[in-house]
Amino acid sequence: MRRLLREPLGVFGLGLVILVVLSAVFADVVTQFDPNRISPRDRFMDPSTTNLLGTDQLGRDLFTRVLHGGRIALYVALVSTAISLAIGIVLGLIAGYGPRWLDNLMILIFDAMKSFPTVMLALALVTLFGPSLTAVMVVVILVNVPGYARIIRTQTIALKSSEFVTAAQSMGASTGRILRVHILPNVIGPIVILASMDIPVVIAIEAGMSFLGLGVRPPTPSWGSILNDGFANIRETPWIAIAGGVPIIITTLGFTFLGETLRDVFDPRLKGR
Amino acid sequence: MLVYATKRLGLAVVIVSVAMLLLFCMIYLIPGDPASVALGPRATDAMKEALRIRMGLDQPIWVQFWNFYSGAWTGDLGVEVLSERPVLTVVLEQLPFTLALIAGGITWSVALGIPLGCWAAVKRGSLADRFVGVVSVAVIAIPSFVIAIYALLIFAVTLRWLPAIGAGDPGDLGDQLIHLILPSLAVGLGWVGYIARMVRASMLEVLEASHIRTARAFGLPERQITYRYALSIAILPTVTLLGVGIGQMLSSAVFAEIVFARPGIGRLVFDAILTRNFPLVTGAVLVTTVLFVLLNLIADLIVGALDPRVRSSF
Amino acid sequence: MSHDIKTGPSRRSVLAGASAFGAATLAFPRMSLSQDGTVLTVRSYSDLQILDPAYRLSAPEGDIMRAIYAGLITNEPGDDWTWTPYGVDMIEQLDELTIAFRLRDNIGFTDGYGQMTADDVKFSIERVANPENESPYAGDWAALREVEVTEERAGLIHLNEPFAPLWNSTLPTTTCSILSRAALDALGGRIATEPVAQSGRYLLTEWTPRQRTVLRRNPDWAYEPGGYDEIIILPIEDPSTAELGFEAGDIDYTWTAVSSIARMQETPPEGGVVVEKPSLAYVWLGMNKDVAPFDNPNIRRAVQHAIDTETVVDAAYFGAASTSTGIIAPGLPGHREANLYGYDPDRARELLAQEGVTDLSITLDILNQSERLTAAQVIQSNLADVGIACEIKQNDSGTFWTLGSEDGDYWDQLQMIIGRFSMEPDPSWATVWFTPEQIGVWNWERFDNAEYAELHAQGLTELDPSVRDTIYKRMQDIMEESGQYVFLTHEVTGVLHRDTVEPGLKPNGEPLLGEFRPA
Repeated sequence: MRRLLREPLGVFGLGLVILVVLSAVFADVVTQFDPNRISPRDRFMDPSTTNLLGTDQLGRDLFTRVLHGGRIALYVALVSTAISLAIGIVLGLIAGYGPRWLDNLMILIFDAMKSFPTVMLALALVTLFGPSLTAVMVVVILVNVPGYARIIRTQTIALKSSEFVTAAQSMGASTGRILRVHILPNVIGPIVILASMDIPVVIAIEAGMSFLGLGVRPPTPSWGSILNDGFANIRETPWIAIAGGVPIIITTLGFTFLGETLRDVFDPRLKGR
Repeated sequence: MLVYATKRLGLAVVIVSVAMLLLFCMIYLIPGDPASVALGPRATDAMKEALRIRMGLDQPIWVQFWNFYSGAWTGDLGVEVLSERPVLTVVLEQLPFTLALIAGGITWSVALGIPLGCWAAVKRGSLADRFVGVVSVAVIAIPSFVIAIYALLIFAVTLRWLPAIGAGDPGDLGDQLIHLILPSLAVGLGWVGYIARMVRASMLEVLEASHIRTARAFGLPERQITYRYALSIAILPTVTLLGVGIGQMLSSAVFAEIVFARPGIGRLVFDAILTRNFPLVTGAVLVTTVLFVLLNLIADLIVGALDPRVRSSF
Repeated sequence: MSHDIKTGPSRRSVLAGASAFGAATLAFPRMSLSQDGTVLTVRSYSDLQILDPAYRLSAPEGDIMRAIYAGLITNEPGDDWTWTPYGVDMIEQLDELTIAFRLRDNIGFTDGYGQMTADDVKFSIERVANPENESPYAGDWAALREVEVTEERAGLIHLNEPFAPLWNSTLPTTTCSILSRAALDALGGRIATEPVAQSGRYLLTEWTPRQRTVLRRNPDWAYEPGGYDEIIILPIEDPSTAELGFEAGDIDYTWTAVSSIARMQETPPEGGVVVEKPSLAYVWLGMNKDVAPFDNPNIRRAVQHAIDTETVVDAAYFGAASTSTGIIAPGLPGHREANLYGYDPDRARELLAQEGVTDLSITLDILNQSERLTAAQVIQSNLADVGIACEIKQNDSGTFWTLGSEDGDYWDQLQMIIGRFSMEPDPSWATVWFTPEQIGVWNWERFDNAEYAELHAQGLTELDPSVRDTIYKRMQDIMEESGQYVFLTHEVTGVLHRDTVEPGLKPNGEPLLGEFRPA
């Protein structure tokens, strides 16, 4: 931790992340508006002391919406990353430790999944499920799982032939035990750091999908949907587009700086990824 | 080398086939009926059924898939639902625009990334180096569609330096190039960061290497050392990186095509899914996937040719 | 109603123009294509997909077909729905069941198919009317018995029964484009994307898919010429992108998003003229009576009272459009003066309390278009005020247009919908979609009323406009009484054109390409 604090970039990133997290958590306290309260007569107002970022096309306060948007971004990022990790680890362990044919099959499927551009996958899935936060999370999971699984698989294969594993096997330990006790703890460290570096990507996916109208449902204030509103109404006022895009930039920068620094500090081997 | 290439090619084919199968499964589940969309509101059930039969949509899904798959090998991707033009023709019409966009993106990333990486390596440890480091990370972090939107708003709308929409006049190359500048910047900017870092890291490794020290000892000017030796080594990982980056650039290209209202494969697939133009969707995604896998393959082969260690470990 | 196939979501690519940020000076001179007054560049909202008038899919195709195929008559530009001869020298309704026509001399078909004869008229009309050909526009000639050829270029159209919409929504439209029998026989099927035997003021000379279509003046057209030598059509789905293209000088004519009208009238783009035309389209909020909770008429009535239509329309269109009183716009027989059930949230709450309803939750399906979305959010807020939770579901066009169709599997879950249909200038074109026969086809609210159906049939054969007026008014009353409909707006058509261009527009703002002239 101390080493982290010595890197200015890391500190900066940490600062941004803390800012974003706090503002999301305390959104209700900091602002008094209801993010979804419409007031069409007050549309497109410029920033003022009451409306720090102005109002949008339905007269809703932008600052409030931005803070609440932070909640959605963080929720999606954390939950879907956690789930992707869980699934990725399980699949990776199976691929790495299981029979060769299963490994090959799974690798094939993962590579095939990775050959789709994300957006097309997103579009197809959303058309399937209808736009919603769930659809976004499913997209994120499908995009991330192959990558994590592959890494875990590689590590598992490497460890499979290591001494303590072979020793455990010869002592008759069950597969489950071997995986749980010997392999898992050794592979989990790096992957968590890598996953945390993916958080900005996840936030970008959610924002991107909401921007295209494929994500959150109205009137939910996701940054991507605010950006979309801003884009749609750019001629009326620039503030909505600013309100939507800037938080995305701040958050992705913050997490990336933080993540990079963490990685450099804890495991420089991961640099080549 | 030939063995390696063949193995990789074979693998690529299998991957594409599996991807197609997955795609077909997904599409099968999508709600919405192409016949209704194609024929409009005044169509009777009989008309829609007739169209479905004509399009082969009444067959069981595995028959449809087999027809599609076997046809694909001969370049017959079926006809699209609405205008009954061959899918391959439609896709090939749109493909050059996306390729241009990706090429433009690569150009930007390389044009900005390599010099930046070089500079950072040469000025190692200095403020300039740190600055490049920060900027590299920053452009990687920011989502490309945000870059696209803000680039458009700043350069096309506020400053009016560059055009905002479309691909330019067909037949006027200069106009088309101008229209390419902003969108390809949006596509390629993220990769400037990766390339800069990669180039910097490779160069640093190389600059310390023994044969370089020897060259220095022989009195070769520093600049020549930098450009001639170190840089050529840096190209290798750059190519690998680009191979990986193509897939992501394709995603960014879709956003860029939407934001800048350009024609292209990304837009094509987007529109096709919306209009439930299934033959067009499968055909376009097939072409895109093949493209992606092919580019990856080429990148791998180049790396394999340049670096024998890779070949033997495959 | 024409099914406007949007080939992409219009929520994206809304781009700013110079007007918001100051004067426009172009850094790069664009090829101003209308400089010498003989080239006109227009924008259409979708690319052409088929050039067979009997199977046209969208309005832009109709616009092109009107220019390249001579019809019997065509609409006149202006503010009233009048027609003017196109292919005919004379056309007259002799009695309720007979129309006589004589073609102009000297109208030729391209591709060597000779002169247009009355037999071609017979062929073209009967082709559309023939149920075996499965034309979606067969209904426009539902009353046709046959077309009789009396001379080489003259004939009689015989009807089975009087048909009121004939002069409004059949004869002047591209349903009556005249095709060459010989050419279609040689083709052996439908015209695809390559036109065959063109005969109109213009010829389609070039089509680059998804990019542009070029029409050139037909040198063999001997009568009123079009105003421009060349018309270039650029398909741009999103109206705001089109607006930007206009400002960049790339196009001379486009229509605007309704929500842009207010802003454009305030600060028009340089060299641009903004015209507002009343639209015949109709937008409404519909409730499906076969799905709970809308099977309860009191709940439907409550919703009718809960919606503040003024605010909905004001918010969605930024003040450019006004509220409507039905599906028939002002100017047509049947237009109502007022709604029966207005905004009354207290009454709404009363009704809901009366039904003992406490936590109702419904889904509102809409097309994912920004004006629709804004309207839906106001509706959502109105409903929240009376205690109903409303979830908005945006659908892309592929899904949306099949939501209520019994071909799909959502029709029995669809609760509430914001619908919009476009219109031809005959009231029957509005009411036909809500007849019992259309249940599961286009009548997604599953509105089922026998009196309504009878009145609709009556309206088709009733030729007296004041009787029709009463009939169609009553039909809308019935619709509103059922509780299944809240009439929102007719929108408004916003047209943006260069001041060097005098557009030829129908009264509802739709373009007549052959009538555009240099100003």
